[in-house]
Amino acid sequence: MPLEIQIHKSIAGQYAGATLVSLTGSLDTATAPGLERQLDPVLAGPTNDLVFDLAQLKFISSAGLRVFAMARKKLKERGGQASFVHMQPQIKEVFEIIRALPGVAVFANMAEMDAYLAARQSAYDQPKPQTPGSTPPRQVL
Amino acid sequence: MTLELQASAGEVMRAVEALETFGRTRGIGERVLFGLSLALEECASNIVNHALQGDMRRTFRVTFEYTGGSMVVELRDPGPVFDPTQAPAREPSADNDDHPPGGWGIQIVRRYTDEVRYTREAGENVLRLTKLLDPPTG
Repeated sequence: MPLEIQIHKSIAGQYAGATLVSLTGSLDTATAPGLERQLDPVLAGPTNDLVFDLAQLKFISSAGLRVFAMARKKLKERGGQASFVHMQPQIKEVFEIIRALPGVAVFANMAEMDAYLAARQSAYDQPKPQTPGSTPPRQVL
Repeated sequence: MTLELQASAGEVMRAVEALETFGRTRGIGERVLFGLSLALEECASNIVNHALQGDMRRTFRVTFEYTGGSMVVELRDPGPVFDPTQAPAREPSADNDDHPPGGWGIQIVRRYTDEVRYTREAGENVLRLTKLLDPPTG
């Protein structure tokens, strides 16, 4: 089974800095390198919140978990966060066996995730020196 | 059923797909098949990445045996002696940022199988994964 990867730079236009990565299919020893390659430019960029939507992910092995762990580590180094939403039960079970990703946020649905990201965004919106290209504070609706 | 596979990630997934087909035609349930496929993927990936160093000219063999009461997946490779059952299980730690190769694989394999047996035969590593199957209902 192949892996389809979709990367959206913002979620509903509201969360500057958050990137949604949707995975469809199988994240395994054959497809994990491709995901790592596609994440490299994302992780090199300014995003601090990476959200993996795993609704359509049917299979994951340790090769895939290592890519997630690498992404989580890089984000963590700059105060960022990797989150996972819509995990199918058998996928969640693999995460739990390994406990490879402590401290990652796992959400049952988008509403939970939205609330979480809104809370994180308001932490970013504290007054700080403007840097070139930075985005203005977001409205919390 | 026996497959001869080249040492590549694509061939590992070919074996996984073959196991899924083999299992489905024998009425093995999806949950069991998911776990067994994952165990096969982990063990075969270890063979490709470590025992055979990713050299596609080298091959390894995977055999599926079904008895009704159990499903056995056997992997044979001609690599150097390596017993994955002796690899230390990683202790979960507060900060899991170091990833020794294979540490997670064997934990996954043990979770989804009932027995993992390693032997060395005629210059080959032989790994047998056994999963007991529930008796059919009705």
